[in-house]
Amino acid sequence: MEKVAKQVLHGLPKQVIFCKKCVISNQRPSTQREFKKQNSDIDTVGFGDDGICDTCRWFEYKNTKIDWNQREKELMDLCNRFRRSDGRFDVIVPASGGKDSIYVAYMLKHTYNMNPLTVTWAPHMYTNVGWRNLNHMIDSGLDNLKVTPNGKVHRMLTKLAFENLVNPFQPFIIGQKNVAPRAALQYDVPLIMYGENQAEAHNRFEENLSPLMDIKHFSVKSSEDDLYFGGIHVSELGKYGIQDKEMFYYKPLLEDQIRSRNVEVHYFSYYKNWSPQENYYYAKENTGFESNPDGRSEGTYSKFASLDDRIDGQHYYTMFIKFGQGRAMNDANRDIRDGFISREEAVDLVNKYDGEFPKMYFQEVLEYMGISEARYWEVIDKARSPHLWEKSGDSWRLKYPTC
Amino acid sequence: MKRIIARLDIKLNKLIKGIHLEGWRLLGDPSPFFLDYYKQGIDELIYIDAVASLYSRSSMKELVAATTRDVFVPLTVGGGIRTLEDAYEMLRSGADKIAVNTGAVKNPSLIDEIATKFGSQCMVLSVQAKRRRQGEWKVCYDSAREQTERDVVDWITEAVDRGAGEILLTSIDQDGTAKGFDLDLARSVFETVDVPVVLSGGFGEADDFVKASKFADGIAIARQLHFKKVTVDEIKRQARMNGIKVRLDES
Repeated sequence: MEKVAKQVLHGLPKQVIFCKKCVISNQRPSTQREFKKQNSDIDTVGFGDDGICDTCRWFEYKNTKIDWNQREKELMDLCNRFRRSDGRFDVIVPASGGKDSIYVAYMLKHTYNMNPLTVTWAPHMYTNVGWRNLNHMIDSGLDNLKVTPNGKVHRMLTKLAFENLVNPFQPFIIGQKNVAPRAALQYDVPLIMYGENQAEAHNRFEENLSPLMDIKHFSVKSSEDDLYFGGIHVSELGKYGIQDKEMFYYKPLLEDQIRSRNVEVHYFSYYKNWSPQENYYYAKENTGFESNPDGRSEGTYSKFASLDDRIDGQHYYTMFIKFGQGRAMNDANRDIRDGFISREEAVDLVNKYDGEFPKMYFQEVLEYMGISEARYWEVIDKARSPHLWEKSGDSWRLKYPTC
Repeated sequence: MKRIIARLDIKLNKLIKGIHLEGWRLLGDPSPFFLDYYKQGIDELIYIDAVASLYSRSSMKELVAATTRDVFVPLTVGGGIRTLEDAYEMLRSGADKIAVNTGAVKNPSLIDEIATKFGSQCMVLSVQAKRRRQGEWKVCYDSAREQTERDVVDWITEAVDRGAGEILLTSIDQDGTAKGFDLDLARSVFETVDVPVVLSGGFGEADDFVKASKFADGIAIARQLHFKKVTVDEIKRQARMNGIKVRLDES
């Protein structure tokens, strides 16, 4: 058993399988409660016996079985149930200012006559284009509440999350899930509308069948629950110079708070046939949204996704190291399922771009986390699971290239 | 005489259209489109294989051959031209001119080779220009995925010295927006070189042709033709009313 444990890290399936329809592999993580993670172990996307991943199975269902007219009626009913005419906000839209959040917020306001408050959880380090896009969204006529976490705490949590979980993005993910429900309570707006259900990209099939986000992702039953941030138990964070009172925005809410105020968290992708590319068009037409002015983003071929945080590249790169699946693969899977590219094109794209090192902001990211470059590579190389990686000479390579 | 050219961006034999050369929509089989433009009296066609550089493969030859069976206006073909052989094969399939971008940026002497072997008249330099600040544009390639620090006007000057006989000048910032051409860009290039310049990216309405004709020898239109927002006849009428010479329909 000892031997197997050494062979496979992060709780990954030992044998690598690529989906026959898209290029996702069975090493892809599914969404879990971040504040419960003590180490880098993950659950992975579901695969059928036929070699098709749950996500593709979901898309086949979505493209053939859903009556979008019926869903439109459901959305109308939902809006009618929550719409206010007394000047108060009636829906919270978690929003970065990217194409997807613009689509949701702008459409709710103009097509469904709602009064949205967009709520932003600030990135670790704004890119110039990310900052401009947030302002483009606001300038298009949307109110915005931006919550920016304590920089000292956020840096330390990012460092811990990188060193312990090899996921420097975790503090963002945690805060982002909490910030909308907190605003909902504070502003007494019981409806929250997210964009895409994450299950569309990498979770279990069944999770797509409900319009609602499970509140477990941002709440716990009791304040006595064990919580972990960057893999460290909340009671131990003092050792890292973080006081308990500084954890307000990271700690999940209490289930009772959510239930007693009847807060409902919905996904827009349940009601609308979600397409990042169409959202790009929508954002271009209705706001000053800009795609990446530097050309394609490092590690992929696309120019319009995940643009606002200088640490984004590391988020995808660490996924590439841990799971053999990086940013290009993420984009390509989506484009296959949306019918924009064939599987053969995706294989070419992934082999060309996936795992390209994000060097543009690398030094800034190191400074942000307060670690040396040597330490960075120590963490990275330790995270390479032997069942995925082999070393030839001085360079690492994947044992199973995408095929 | 000013030219009106239909630009068809192609991906694996399908017509596509994006915004800023990104987010390509699949519009389908290109043949009804090019046949329609030919009937409308288009002066030329430009085909750009948008993914040839991306995938290092192209299926353009069949499309070119199919087009030239029915269409008798000059056809420029680009995308994935890396070598003299690539250019030769495209010409043999029926292309009249070859547009080169990525191949020339990576290996500028390809321009000399094509111009020497086949003549400058068929060596079109395709340039994807990204605006940086007022009066400054940088050269991009691979459908604007890759950027260089090369100044657009400098690059075009060098390419013309090497033998480029025509410039296809695409503004990445205006592409797909239908908000009008980047006339500053056009002017900068038009006043520098004395080979024909075809302006691409941003055509919205017939009047954009009138405005562009001061700084370009031709314009390339994609979106507004594909989405049937404008007809060739409409543009030509507007041009004549403004005293701009255009090719008259034979009928």
